[in-house]
Amino acid sequence: MAWFVSKKILQTLMVLLIVSIASFALLKFAPGDPVQLMLGSEYSAEAHASLVKQLGLDRPIPEQYARWLAGFLSGDWGTSFVSKAPIFRYAFLEALPVTLTLAASALGLAIVIGVPLGVLSATRKDTGWDAAVATLTLTGTSFPSFYLGILLIWLFGVQLGWFPTLGFVAPWDDLWGGIVHMTLPAITLSTYFLAMIVRLTRANLIEQLEQPYVAAARARGEPRWRVVWVHGLRNVMLPLVTILGLQLGALLQGAVLTETVFSLPGVGQMMTSAVLNREYGVVQAGVMMTACLFVLTNLLVDLAYPFLDPRLRPR
Amino acid sequence: MTDHKAILAERFLGGLNRRDLMKGLAAGGVVMAAGGLARPAHAAGNEIKLAWVDHIDTLDPHFTGFLGAVKVHNNIYNGLLKVTYDGKKVGFVPDLAESWDITDGVIHTFKLRPNVKFHDGTPCDAEAVKWNVERVWKGEPKSPHGWKFKSLEKVEVVDPLTVKLTFKQPYAFLPVALTGSTGRAGTIVSPAAVQKFGASFGRNPVGTGPFKFVSWKENDSILLEKNPDYFEAGLPKLDKVTILIMKEASSAIAAVMSGQVDGMSDSPVQFIPQLKANPNLQVFGEIEGNYVYIAMNCRKAPFDDINLRRAVAFALNREQIIKQAFFGQGIPAYTPISPPMTDFYDPNVAKTGRGQRFDLAKAKEFRAKAKVQDVIEPKFMVTEEGTYGSRLAQTVLPMLAEIGIKPKLELVERAAWVSRRNAGDFEMLDFNWWADLDPDETLFPEFHTGAAWNYPGWSNKRFDECVEQAQVILDVAQRKALYEEASDIIMDEAPIAITSHMPVFKIFAKKVKGFNYIPVDSLNLHTVTVS
Repeated sequence: MAWFVSKKILQTLMVLLIVSIASFALLKFAPGDPVQLMLGSEYSAEAHASLVKQLGLDRPIPEQYARWLAGFLSGDWGTSFVSKAPIFRYAFLEALPVTLTLAASALGLAIVIGVPLGVLSATRKDTGWDAAVATLTLTGTSFPSFYLGILLIWLFGVQLGWFPTLGFVAPWDDLWGGIVHMTLPAITLSTYFLAMIVRLTRANLIEQLEQPYVAAARARGEPRWRVVWVHGLRNVMLPLVTILGLQLGALLQGAVLTETVFSLPGVGQMMTSAVLNREYGVVQAGVMMTACLFVLTNLLVDLAYPFLDPRLRPR
Repeated sequence: MTDHKAILAERFLGGLNRRDLMKGLAAGGVVMAAGGLARPAHAAGNEIKLAWVDHIDTLDPHFTGFLGAVKVHNNIYNGLLKVTYDGKKVGFVPDLAESWDITDGVIHTFKLRPNVKFHDGTPCDAEAVKWNVERVWKGEPKSPHGWKFKSLEKVEVVDPLTVKLTFKQPYAFLPVALTGSTGRAGTIVSPAAVQKFGASFGRNPVGTGPFKFVSWKENDSILLEKNPDYFEAGLPKLDKVTILIMKEASSAIAAVMSGQVDGMSDSPVQFIPQLKANPNLQVFGEIEGNYVYIAMNCRKAPFDDINLRRAVAFALNREQIIKQAFFGQGIPAYTPISPPMTDFYDPNVAKTGRGQRFDLAKAKEFRAKAKVQDVIEPKFMVTEEGTYGSRLAQTVLPMLAEIGIKPKLELVERAAWVSRRNAGDFEMLDFNWWADLDPDETLFPEFHTGAAWNYPGWSNKRFDECVEQAQVILDVAQRKALYEEASDIIMDEAPIAITSHMPVFKIFAKKVKGFNYIPVDSLNLHTVTVS
C-alpha cells in the first residue's frame, strides 16, 4: 500500500514537472518579447537592453527555468514584471478564490438544476416534458458562452437593471452582494455543464430503470419516487462524477471567457493577460495552480468512488 | 523576495474563518435564488466610478509607455508645467511652478509654489524636483523617457524653491516633454516614496496631485481618494474615485448604459453613435494629436520602390476609409501634423494641394512607373488586438486591387506583431500614434534615420536636417516652415500612406459635471462633481 501511494505521488510530481517545463518552453519559444510590450510606445533599443538586464531575461533559458523552479519550490513565486507585485499574492490569494467561487457556483447551479431536469426527462421519456428539456439543453450547449454572457448583460443588466454586470464581490465579505454579482456569470458558465448533466442523467437513469433491481424494488412495494431518486440516481452518480471530474478543463476554459465578459479578476483573466504580455512567472503560477487543481480533482473523484458505490469499498 | 507565509498570515488574520468559508460555499449553491431585487449600487454623491478600458501598466510616470496609465497619473501627480485648452488653442503653463523664465533660450528657471507637500508629507521643493529630473535623465534603471532630456547639461538648486535647468542648446520640445505626451518627464514624484518602495513604486504611487492613491487590485480596480491638502484651493471636489479595469469594451458600454458606472476612459469608435444617442450620457471628443497610417517597409522589395509606395499613398480613398473602417469618426489626414498643434497645423491644408490624398489617376500614373508591373501580393501584417483590429487593412484591400496590389492579410497575435514591427520584419502594417502636441515628437522619433520608432526603415538626409534644426530653434514661424518642408518630404517619398486624424473619446453620465476636456487624451478629475 505504501509503495502504491508513493508511486502515485511520484507520478503526480513527474506530471507537474513536465507540465511546468512544457508551459515555460512554449511561452519562451512563442514569438513576442515581454520587454517590448512593457515599453509600449516608449520603445528604444537602450531602454530595452536596460530592462532586459534588470529582469534577468538576458540569461540562458535553462538557467531562467532553473531559477524559477528553485524559487517556486522554496515558496518564492517571483514578482510580476508588469505589476511588481508578488505573484503568490496576485495568483494564489487574489485570483484563485475568484475563479473557484465562479466555478463552484456554476457547477453547483448546473447540478442543482441539471439533475432534477434529467430525472424529469428520463421518467417522462418521449413526452412533451422530455422534448422541452432537450430543446432547452441543446440551446444551452450551442450558445457560445461569451455571447450568452453579453446577451444576459444586455437583458438583465442594461434593459431590466436587475443585476450588476461587472466586478467580483467576495461572498465571505458580503454574502448578498456576492450572490448578486455572481448570478449572471454563474448562469453563463453553467449552461454547458447543465446540458451535459441533464443528458448524462437522462441516459443513465433510463438504463438503470430497466434493470431487474428496479423491478424488484417496485415489486417490494417501494414508492416510485424512492426507486427513482434513491436507487436509480445513486447508480447514475458514478458516471456523472467521473465525467464532471474530467470536464474540469472545460470549466476553467469557460471561466476565461466568462471572467473577461464580466470583468472578474480571476485566474482566467490573469492568465490571458499574462500570456499576451509574455509574463512567464505569472503564466507558470497559473499553470501550476491549474495542474494541481486537476490532480486534486482526480484524486477526489477516485476517493468518491467507494463512497458512492459500496461494491468498490475495500473489504 | 516574496515572503508568502507573512502574506498568508496577514490574509487569514484578516478574518477569513471557517464560518466565512461556509458562507462562501452556501453562496455558490443558492446563487440562483437571487431574484430581481438587486439594484446595482450607485456611487453615492461625492464619488465617481469609471470604467477604464485602456491599459494601465504602471503608476510610475517616469516608466510608463501607455496613455491609459498617464490618464491616471494626471490625477495623482503634478508636473512642472501643465497643458491648458480654451476650446481653440492648446497652451503650456506652470503647474507646480509659480513662474517659468527662459534666459538665452537655454536656461529654464522654475520658481516653485511654496508649502506644497507630497501625499506622504515630505516637501515638494527644489531638491525634490532636481532629484526627479535626474531620475528621468540618467537614473538607473533607465527611464524610457530619458531621451526627452538628452540635451540637458545640468540641473541646479538655486534656493529651496528655485530650480534651474540648463540645456546645451535651445530645446523647442521642452514644454511638451515636461507635460503632455505619453508619460511626463517633468512629472514630480515623491523621492522618499521611491526610496521606500523601490521597484514597486509604480504600485504605490505618491505625488502632489488632487487625489491620493489608496489601492490597486490586479485586473480589478484602482481606488483614489481626495487629497485634502491639494494646493489649488477648493479642489478636488470628489471624495473618492474608483477606476474599474475592464478589458472588454462591450461590457463597459453595458455598465455605463445601465448606470453602474459614471463614465468610460475611452471607447472604440464603433460604439460612439450608440453612446451619443443615449439620453443619459454625454460624449466628449475632438480630433486630437494623432494619425493613422499604413507603413510600407522601405528596406526590402517590393516597397523599396518609391513609385510603388507613392501609388499606394494616392490610391487610398480617405473618405471611404473613415466611413467604413472608423464608423464615420475622424478626418482625412494630408500630413502627420494634426489639428491640436495649433501653431503648426494648417486648417486649409486640404486646399493647398500639399501632402497625400486620394487621386486614382495619379496612383495609376505612379504604378505605371513602378519596377514590377505584374500584380504584387505583399504581406500585410495585422493584429486583432490593435486599436482598429484588421478593419483598416480589410477596407483598403479593394482600393489597392485597383492598382494591381493585392495584399495578403497575415493575422498575428499582438506580442508577435510588436516584435516583428520593432524588428522591421514585415512588408505592410497599419498603426497609429496618439496624443502628440508638437511636430517634433510627431516627426523626429518616427522618421529620422535610425530613430527608435522608424518602423518603415526610411531615411532622407534633407528631412533629417529639417527636424534636427527645428528642434533647436524657438521661433515658431521658422519651425513651422521647417516642419512643412519635412512633412512634404515624407508624404512625397511615402514610407507611410497616411489616412486620418481621429477623435479620442471620454464618456460620462449626464450627472457628471465640470469635466474640462483637453485634446491630449487626458481625464483630469479635479474639477469634476457628480450630482
